[in-house]
Amino acid sequence: MTVRRERARAAAKVYPRFMLDHVALGQARFMTPGIAADPRGVALGRFALLVFPALDGLVSWLRLAAAETSIDDLVPAMTIHSARTPLKSRAILLQIAATSSYAVDRASRLARLAGGATYTGSGKHFVKYRDDRSPYGYDATSATAVPEGFDLVAHDEEVSQSYARDQEISLANLLLRLSLGRVPASSPQATGEGRQHLLIAARRGLAGGVIRYLWRNRVTAEVGLARPTSRSAFQDSDHELCIARVRDLPERMRELFLATPGIDVFAPVAANVAVEVGYRHVIDLSACTSVFPEDRTFLFRGDRGAGEPVLTLKGPLELSAIEHVTDIDLGITVDAVAAGAPQPGTLPLAVSAPDPLGVRARLEPSSAAPRNIKATLIPLERAEWLKKLVFFLPEHSVRGHRIAVTDRGIVVVGDAGIDLIPIGEHLTEHAPGLLIPIGMEIAPRVMPEVLAHALGHDAGLVTIMPRDGSPFQLKDTALLPLERSVLARVTVKETQSVSFESEPTAAPSVVNDPVGRFALWGFPSGPKRKALPPAPESEPAPES
Amino acid sequence: MSRRITDVLGDVVMPLVCGGTIHVGAPLSVAEVRRLEQELPHAATEIDVIDDARASIISEIAVDPPPVIFGADELSLAAAVHNLLFLVHPRAAEGWRKASTKSQVLAAASELASGGPPSDRREVLAFHSLLHNLFAITRTDVTVTWWTGSAVFRGRTPPNRLTAWPTMRRVRQDHTTAGFGQLFGALENLPVLARLLSRSPLTHLLATSPSAPPLAWEDAVIVLRDADMARVVCSAALAPSDPKAKVALPARYGAAFEDMLERGPDPGDARAVAAFLVHLNALLALAEAAAGDRSSAVLDAVLASERVAQRPRGLVTWLALPQALASAAPLLSMPPGIAEDSALAAVWGRHRRQVAKAVGDAVIDALAERLRATLGDAAHRDHPRL
Repeated sequence: MTVRRERARAAAKVYPRFMLDHVALGQARFMTPGIAADPRGVALGRFALLVFPALDGLVSWLRLAAAETSIDDLVPAMTIHSARTPLKSRAILLQIAATSSYAVDRASRLARLAGGATYTGSGKHFVKYRDDRSPYGYDATSATAVPEGFDLVAHDEEVSQSYARDQEISLANLLLRLSLGRVPASSPQATGEGRQHLLIAARRGLAGGVIRYLWRNRVTAEVGLARPTSRSAFQDSDHELCIARVRDLPERMRELFLATPGIDVFAPVAANVAVEVGYRHVIDLSACTSVFPEDRTFLFRGDRGAGEPVLTLKGPLELSAIEHVTDIDLGITVDAVAAGAPQPGTLPLAVSAPDPLGVRARLEPSSAAPRNIKATLIPLERAEWLKKLVFFLPEHSVRGHRIAVTDRGIVVVGDAGIDLIPIGEHLTEHAPGLLIPIGMEIAPRVMPEVLAHALGHDAGLVTIMPRDGSPFQLKDTALLPLERSVLARVTVKETQSVSFESEPTAAPSVVNDPVGRFALWGFPSGPKRKALPPAPESEPAPES
Repeated sequence: MSRRITDVLGDVVMPLVCGGTIHVGAPLSVAEVRRLEQELPHAATEIDVIDDARASIISEIAVDPPPVIFGADELSLAAAVHNLLFLVHPRAAEGWRKASTKSQVLAAASELASGGPPSDRREVLAFHSLLHNLFAITRTDVTVTWWTGSAVFRGRTPPNRLTAWPTMRRVRQDHTTAGFGQLFGALENLPVLARLLSRSPLTHLLATSPSAPPLAWEDAVIVLRDADMARVVCSAALAPSDPKAKVALPARYGAAFEDMLERGPDPGDARAVAAFLVHLNALLALAEAAAGDRSSAVLDAVLASERVAQRPRGLVTWLALPQALASAAPLLSMPPGIAEDSALAAVWGRHRRQVAKAVGDAVIDALAERLRATLGDAAHRDHPRL
């Protein structure tokens, strides 16, 4: 008898009597600590606690949640624990932030689907979350302490269950340990079809062949080497992988890579996460990218029999364009370069001395029709003429012409022609940026590129070969728009602006007046929360 | 001693509208407010000043401001604000010995704030002009420390006997400012505050305080149907220059839109809100149209993969909405006129690609599915007028 009484007393300690009450609309005070009504009137704490009997329930919930929304929003406040009850049974506790009752509604719906239960609370006491029978949630009728040795109590309508947290389960570890499932062969995901980008991981020995094959077939790709980190000192850590990120891989090549041993093809799901083509992770990884550290790249492999299930590469992938990685044939040897002697049939590396046959380029009259008249060189003494002319130029000429004043004259350049400025010596464009007088040509008649090289002309420079005198250059940036150069400084007086805006109001501040000890004396009480609504006024019975 | 209407107007309403010091005294019961309503015609001088100030506030929002006259509704709302402020009065905090006392004041405030969302433009502007300063209310608290003790004076001036002989008695005064969060942010106040703000949706839309109660678009959609008010909301939403602050309000709108979709809203309302959020996306693109071919600095900053955990709730929904609508309601996925401006169209396309790359197809598809379920046939109607 005594033993039975002791057991009953022990049971009362671990299963305190904690009856739940239905929350009423507009209820403002709650017995459960850390619970308050949200704007909809639903009883809600700071956290939602989802309890699953086993790990597969948690995985099912994550799978459902990832399919519907982004888990990234929940990750910062999410904790997963393995817990034990007073009877030493196990449970999985998932705690998430209760940002709003809508978010918890969804979590609760998915938890029911995955065989779990949902509670809400802020600290150690969690009460059952709302359901169809109590749309505004539940509250306790009395509060008791959490039994010693336990971390929290989840109160249901029937029983209050205490839990002691055993160990924390990392979401990242959980995702990395889950097996990949095979995708049906008929699905496009099975072959990576429709994927714009794919990652190819090949053993180091196959790298040259893969790169040549991609380059020959003109596939846009970037390649690099990566060494997977190993969790065990006994594993082979020497195998280096050649990683290629390819774009729009043709179908025949994709099939070949998929069928070749030593080469794995992955489909990226996030910036640093990829899943092997033909397989699918149980949880949509694109919905939980924040779980994976930025400084590593994770390649999920489907075939777990061949080494690590997840290849973890240090750092984000740093790849180089494939055109810089292909084999090149120099045609010279190191000894020849060291000796400075040219190989037979190849160009010498050193620049030779100036050729004694070289002649100076000069201007000669040309009979060809002038074209590409782009600029004019106006003597400095004719500057006054240009000033007068500016007043007659149309708007597009003032805006489209550029001008620079040099010691050799005033250079005016107009990309659309210079016909409207009939002063100075007009210049035609022999090569981009290389100007010669109209009606002249350069002798000897060499290619413009050769002439530009001889003159030291380059992009960003304007080189002018005048009829008399030596050629001269100026930087393209020295040419300023004509409209900015011609206007003299105009003196403008500053005036006061008048604002039509209304004056901003000062922020109100609060001062608490003395109200005395009986400020609420006689303050009418509110409606009784649990009172029945007033009966409708009965209509007077019709007079007979 | 019963209060007069002129006292309430001068101590509470006028500082609430024009700025100044709000004097918080004993709470106002519903019966007292009803009695004060009868006295309103006898306070024409004070009401004229208040209405002039409100007209000035409305003129900043609307081109053709409607006339506003201080009436019973406005008095009830001001009394509700006063009662909420009384809940943090130091004397009130000492007097909550009876559990029901606080709930009585809350119940009175709740009843005074009830009345449902405004039905027309005039009411929206009238209530906003009354409550536009609600989130700017502050209280200065003084902590006085002397050689043998200390005391805190919340919204009150310390008595001279405590601050006398400051050097000899080693008196130190620390001033701190309590903002909206400390004054109104208690959990039990939220339902009343939500009811109060449902009467002034424009104030709620312009609120930048993180302690503001969640927005309900069903109450606020009336603001989007008026061009003047919608323009003010757009301007306020994207006003900050710091990327994190710039997306704070749109993200709040996005989170409220998520909640709205969960409630099965009227398709017409959902379309109007969706079109407004897409319009905000277009304004963001327009602001960066001059940046050339570079990717968006704002999107780079807020969608950076290393800051996934710091993304505010609703941000992804707001930014991914155009792509989701492209399959769920193509007419709403891009504001009319963008295609005609090649520079803007290029920035718009670049933003969409940047967002798609950062949030992933799965999120966009899930959002599109929810939109499809909500919008239904309404998805194929014309673009709503904002």
